[in-house]
This record gives sequence, structure tokens and C-alpha cells, in this order.
Amino acid sequence: MVKRQATPVERAARLLDLVPFISTHQGISLPDLAKEFDLSENELLSDLNTLWMCGLPGYTPLELIDLEFESGYVSIRNAEILQRVRLLTKQELVIILLGLDILRESFATSRSDLIAPVENLMAKIREIVGNIATAAPIVDSSHRAMISQAIKSRCDLEISYYSTIRDTVSTRRITPLDLSVDFGFEVLNAYCHSAGGFRTFRLENMKSVLLASTRSQVPSQNSEMQFEWKLSITSRLRTCLERFRQVAPEFAPAQGMSLEVKSFSRDWLLRSSLSTLGSAEVIAPADARSSLADACWQALELYE
Amino acid sequence: MFERDKDDLRNLGINIEVGTFDPLFEDEAGYRIKPENYQFQLGQISAQEIALLSVAAQAWRGAALSSSALSALNKLHAIGIESDTELIPDLAPSIVSQNTNLPIVISAITSQLVLSFSYTNEEMAAENRVVEPYAVASRYGHWYLLGNDLDRKAQRIFRLDRIAGAAKTQGRSGSYSIPADLDVEAAFSSQQPLSSAILLLRDGRALNLRTRIKEISDTADGSGWQKGEITFRDRERFLEEILWYGGDVVVIEPADLRQQIVELLREGVRKYG
Repeated sequence: MVKRQATPVERAARLLDLVPFISTHQGISLPDLAKEFDLSENELLSDLNTLWMCGLPGYTPLELIDLEFESGYVSIRNAEILQRVRLLTKQELVIILLGLDILRESFATSRSDLIAPVENLMAKIREIVGNIATAAPIVDSSHRAMISQAIKSRCDLEISYYSTIRDTVSTRRITPLDLSVDFGFEVLNAYCHSAGGFRTFRLENMKSVLLASTRSQVPSQNSEMQFEWKLSITSRLRTCLERFRQVAPEFAPAQGMSLEVKSFSRDWLLRSSLSTLGSAEVIAPADARSSLADACWQALELYE
Repeated sequence: MFERDKDDLRNLGINIEVGTFDPLFEDEAGYRIKPENYQFQLGQISAQEIALLSVAAQAWRGAALSSSALSALNKLHAIGIESDTELIPDLAPSIVSQNTNLPIVISAITSQLVLSFSYTNEEMAAENRVVEPYAVASRYGHWYLLGNDLDRKAQRIFRLDRIAGAAKTQGRSGSYSIPADLDVEAAFSSQQPLSSAILLLRDGRALNLRTRIKEISDTADGSGWQKGEITFRDRERFLEEILWYGGDVVVIEPADLRQQIVELLREGVRKYG
């Protein structure tokens, strides 16, 4: 990702934050300081050169901030006024509030020694910004931590997983590849040794996650067959597109639209088509249509 | 100084006051920042609290608001108390939203700016909405905005990923006020009334539905089905959920919902048979 250029206001804000940070971290090395503020060393040097010219009214050398960084280590003097830590902005308070909300949910309920201070901090922040933001996590943080650790150390995982497609909970041994976000949901891309193929697992559907003692190679190519179904959508366009994970077209068609959906899972295509029975019709292939006919018959028989 | 510059400073958390501060030159306008309007406002803070606040800010790593999270972290570290992370279990709480409207919405709420945006309705048509934003919430894996819809003159909830393009702010900051008694939880649950249904579930199937059923009982005839009562809000969504399970779930009550399922299945048989 290319880093965005900071606006003048953002840069000014950063300069104000550098002073108190250096004051409490006298003698910090340039690389460490650059890392803390997510800057390149050149950007940092440019900031320090600007700060070197700053001070309070009077503007004689006596009032200027005394900054020393030629040795490669940064120290600061004569910055008593500016070394106060700047107020957190309301935006920063809101994002911390949301972060705390998620953090609180990640602690086991027995950890009241941690939950109490989190709630105390949340109350302090709400007093300043109001009750304007809440977050309810759907993923167990300890699972995510375990997965990250496994990816880093190239270990396999043993997970107990609820598959909405198969409607079963099963234990699988998987080699985790990477974490990503799929239509808003956190997923783990992995090679599943139990299924013998690449699979995507939704983190919120994991019931337990354990480090396995094994490390495995994964095949470099996916040899599985992909199913491709053609659909025609007649109503509830937004729901259908979300259900079949399609990106919305730029212009909404006046009357229905046709769709081609690909998946490695025939079950997923089948269940999704059943779900949207009233608003979408599978046009091809023929075997998909006959499977849907069977599924409708079987369900209908239970009612009649 | 321009108003615009003052707004910029205000967004940095710096409130400027105008006045004459020089006893000798009374006409000279000056600007002043009061220490209490500049200094870190959470008061005395412990090493454990610094650690908790840092972990909370780090949850945004890589998400839409990571630059604000970074500046918050810089300030926390500048306090100079070593954070005590030893006390916190090895967790990686994370907020995954890449939604570029989330920072816009949060900043509009904190400065009380009216928002206008194009919202995708059920038929995928764009509707223009003008909203006084009140709160954001993440629920069921999505981000939602709660606000006062100025055209519809009522509170509405919007899913952020259904906003097309970038939301725009309009007017001046502080142009409305957020109700002091705002109850986000209540607003979310009152949008649609709770209904209930009685279902038959095939033995060992529809596991996700089972987690939402309080009491589940075997049917007397030993046919391998269980019976339970479940609550739902969005009727269309609930219908889709029932259909997802095909022949593993049967609706007993309410009668109109049962009838609707039967009609959909008949339509399916007609279409595909």
C-alpha cells in the first residue's frame, strides 16, 4: 500500500505530538522514533528540522526549542510548555472507546480485574464524547491470536468448525495461510487436510482453535473443480447480490438482472438458491435445476 | 485567523479563544489556548490503564481509522509511563472495517455535522438521504449508523456498506445536538418488533437455529424431530434462513408464515420441476 501524503494539519498535529514523546524518551534513536510515528527517517528528519525552528514568542535563540539529533539520538530541552501531552481528539476517543468495547468482550468473564478498569475507562470517555459508539465483536479474540501465532510459526491448527453449508460441527486439521476480510467478515484462508483442498473459514464459526504439533506442505495448485451457475434475479436485488457475494453494479438495472456465480461448493450454491427461492431462479446448469426441484419437493412433502 | 483554520485546529483537539491578552496594546487581538483545553484529559492514569488503552487503539491496525489510532498511541506513549502489558493475556482484538465512510461518519458525529449520502435500497436504486448522525455501532459483523433522517423526520439505521460512494458533510459543525438520553441498544431493537415462531427441527440439524432456541423438546412420536420456539425481527431474512435449511426445518406457527413457505416451495417446484 502506498502511504498517503500527510496534510499540513496532520503534519502540524504530528509535530505537536513529537515534543512530549521525545521529552519522555530522551536519547531515543532516530530509527526507533521513526518507527513509533510510522515515518521514514527522511520524513522524521524533515519534521525535526522544522521543530528546531519552533519556540515561544520572543523568537530569540533563548526561546527556541533546543533539539539535538545529529548524533543519531534525539533529545530535547527548553520545551516545557509544549511538552504537555496533547488532548486526545474526539475522533481518537471514539476509536479507543470502540477498541475498549471489543477488548472487554475478549476477556473471560472471570477476569474482573481487567474488565473493571476497561469499563471504568469507557465510562470516562463516554462522559466526554457521549454514548455514541458501541461495538459487539462476533469473533473470539483468543482464536484470532492463536491463528496469527500459527501463521507466524508455520504450524498447523486443529479447529472445531461449524459449517453453515454442511450444517455440522466437525474437527479439521488445517494449514493456515492468511487472514483476510470477505464481505465484511473475517476469514482464514487455509488448506484443509481433512477435506483435501483449499478452504475459507469464517472466524466467528470456529468453536475451538488449537495449535497442532505438525507442519505440512500445501499443494501449490488448486485441483478442485469450480461450479458455475447462471441465475436470473427478479426482485430483492440487494439481498440476492449480498447472498451470492456479488459486487453491486454501478447502475441498477430497471428490470431484474442475470448473474454468474462461481464456487467450489455446490452445497453453498444450492442452499443460497433455496434461500432466495422467491426472488431468484437458477437458469443453468440443468443438474442444478433438478437438485433444486428435489429439494423443494422434499421440503413441501413435510408440510402437506 | 480564518474560521477554517480554527476548525482545523479544533479537529486537532485544540480550542482557540480570541481576546486581548497584552495589557499594553489592548487593540491587538490575540489567540490563546487554555492549558485545560490542550492537555491530555483522562487525568492520572496507571500503567495498566495505558496498556489497556494501547491495546484498544491497536485493534484498528490496518483498518480504516489506523492513522487516528496511531496518533492516539503516540500520545499515550508520550505520557512516559511504561505500559504494563504483562498483565493482559495474549489477545489480538481486531477491528476489520476497511469501510472508508466509517472515519467520515465518526468525525461527523463528533463535530455534529449533517451528512448526506446515496443509499442503496432493496431494489438496488440509489436514494439520497440527509441525516443528523447520532451514533455508530458494529453488530453481526457490520457497521451501522444511527441518525435522524431529515426527510423522513424519524430515526433510521443505515448499514455503512450500503452507502454508495463517499458520504459528504454539509453545513456548520454543531448544527444539531445528539439527544442526551440516546440509547443505542434500544434504538437498534425498536426498529423492528420481535416476533416468534414455533419450528420443528430434524435431529442434529439446523445447528445455528438451535443456539437461538431457549427450550427444545423431543416430539412425542419419536420421529427424530425436535420442537422449539424462536424469536426473529426481520421476517424476510427469517424466511430465507428457514429455506436455507431445506427439508431440515418445518414452520408450525404462525400460520401465515407457514403458508408463505408453502407457497414459495410450490413456486420452486413449478419453476424447477
